Amino acid sequence: MAHEAVAEATQQVVMNTTFWTATIIFLLAYAIIVSEKVHKTIVAIVGAALMLVLKILEQHEAFHVEELGVDWNVIFLLISMMTIINLMRPTGFFEYIAIKSAKWGKGEPFKIMAIFSVVTAVLSAFLDNVTTVLLLAPVTLLIADALEVDPIPFLITEALASNIGGTATLIGDPPNIMIASKAKLNFMDFIVHLTPAIIIIMVAFLFVIKLIFGKKLKVKPELKKRVLEMNEREAIKDPVMLKKSLFVLAVVILGFIFHGKLHYEPATVALFGAGLLLLLSGTHEPHEYLAEVEWPTIFFFMGLFIIIGGVVKVGLIKWMSQKVLEITHGNMFSTSMLVMWFSAFASAFVDNIPYVATMNPLIIDMAKEIWPNLHGIQLLHNPALMPLWWSLALGACLGGNGTAIGASANVIVVGMAERAGRKISFAKFMLYGMPIMILTVVISMIYVWLRYYVLKI
Amino acid sequence: MKAKDIMEPMSDTLRPDITIKEAIKQMKMARRDDTRVGVKGMVVVTDKGELIGMFSIKDVLKAIIPQYMKMSELSDFTWEGMLEAMAKKVEDMKVQDVMTRDVITVREEAPLMEVADVIVKNNLQRVPVVGKDGRPVGIIYVRDLYHALVKAMLGEED
Repeated sequence: MAHEAVAEATQQVVMNTTFWTATIIFLLAYAIIVSEKVHKTIVAIVGAALMLVLKILEQHEAFHVEELGVDWNVIFLLISMMTIINLMRPTGFFEYIAIKSAKWGKGEPFKIMAIFSVVTAVLSAFLDNVTTVLLLAPVTLLIADALEVDPIPFLITEALASNIGGTATLIGDPPNIMIASKAKLNFMDFIVHLTPAIIIIMVAFLFVIKLIFGKKLKVKPELKKRVLEMNEREAIKDPVMLKKSLFVLAVVILGFIFHGKLHYEPATVALFGAGLLLLLSGTHEPHEYLAEVEWPTIFFFMGLFIIIGGVVKVGLIKWMSQKVLEITHGNMFSTSMLVMWFSAFASAFVDNIPYVATMNPLIIDMAKEIWPNLHGIQLLHNPALMPLWWSLALGACLGGNGTAIGASANVIVVGMAERAGRKISFAKFMLYGMPIMILTVVISMIYVWLRYYVLKI
Repeated sequence: MKAKDIMEPMSDTLRPDITIKEAIKQMKMARRDDTRVGVKGMVVVTDKGELIGMFSIKDVLKAIIPQYMKMSELSDFTWEGMLEAMAKKVEDMKVQDVMTRDVITVREEAPLMEVADVIVKNNLQRVPVVGKDGRPVGIIYVRDLYHALVKAMLGEED
């Protein structure tokens, strides 16, 4: 029945020259991004420029129309959070936390691994994963040297924990930021719907690593003393700036918690935080902190938004959404599960940012096919559609754990291990990552099914 | 005077594929004339005598300082015996993996002033002297320049 209703509402997509031009730019850009022959940011910028030059999109649409162009909410949220972290990094806060954690684990390697995983997950939920891993990995290598244990299991579990933790909140991982912006979901929506799933997943994750490493990791008592004798206070390089940073971070997190109620977009909250911390830092060289923003990532986002805008405008995404509905016969539960598993495997091998950038309009177009009379929030927040957003977020974020290239955090730890003279091969990472990915997606599947289709809460 | 007048003729060199441990031993045993002097740096040459690198104690120190200390400010966190433990870790690495590849050299015919300038500008302890074909023919240590200074100022051989 649902399928017939869908078929009736379907409007034919016109496949003219513009349609094919946009589709070719889109496919070619994605193919080159996957092949890594040209830097992804350059591909995104050239692709976006072609969409404009070939008049598939008007410049006005690319820059100023929310449905077709750059999502400035995502851009400013990323820039602002990166600026806050750049100001916070030199204070030594992250090194302090890491050394404190290692001492808290009493120098026991498995305890340290578990505590580091939890700390990484929590930090990744509020800061970006790359920064978290980038700051914790050096301390991990130091602790592993002190305990004379292999650092690789520690580094891999940290990357996995970072991707799991990042899934928990709106600001934890770029896919969530993009989903929140398109679906008009607020910070508390993510806390209510995704955080419980992530807590369950984290418990399961700790249980699994306990099974694998709990017995294996043993060290002599005199080596534990090396860790216990470290004084974490020496890590703090700038206590005054640290206090200012923590104050601003608290303001920002409070701002996120209440942004829905106060009717502020997340980017407004983050921009305020970045401005405030820049002001409080008393720096006369903002250039230093602003230059460290990952501009290639920011331009990658901007380019992608415009490329996607082009294929949305010509109807390719709408056509794809019709095909998905044909496969699932309009059944929302099977659509959710398809979205979750497909997202997980897609994100394990390709960048989840372009993937989610494509899926967001696809889900919206799909919703328009199913409920042609609904608009705005009524459409986006339709109770039957909500599980799809959560399935997309869970699949795309957790899928990153599948392979060494699935998420930026993984790429970082592999790179760091290599610089420390320890190679983590693609296969070795997958040996840990893939089973964890499948386990976490199975848990997510049960969670979505129980919560939204059985208990309906 | 020219570089070739004060240089020590090239006698001891290192091969790129020996281990750091072997290289250190060879440097410790280095002789000058008939006495064992020991040096803290040597040139690395191929079988054909081509200069491909410079290996010094500083390169070894760079190799034993862990990467994470360079990435993060962790120098406060060390333990008793860490340097010795790290040295053990790198002793089997090859000379070619840690040597300095961009070697600064001077020509045989270079005036001493040029040699002094090169040493000061690049903060060197020693500089290889190369012949017309680019192959190393000798080496000048800071101490060789010192001898030249002593002679100029005090007018005597020390």
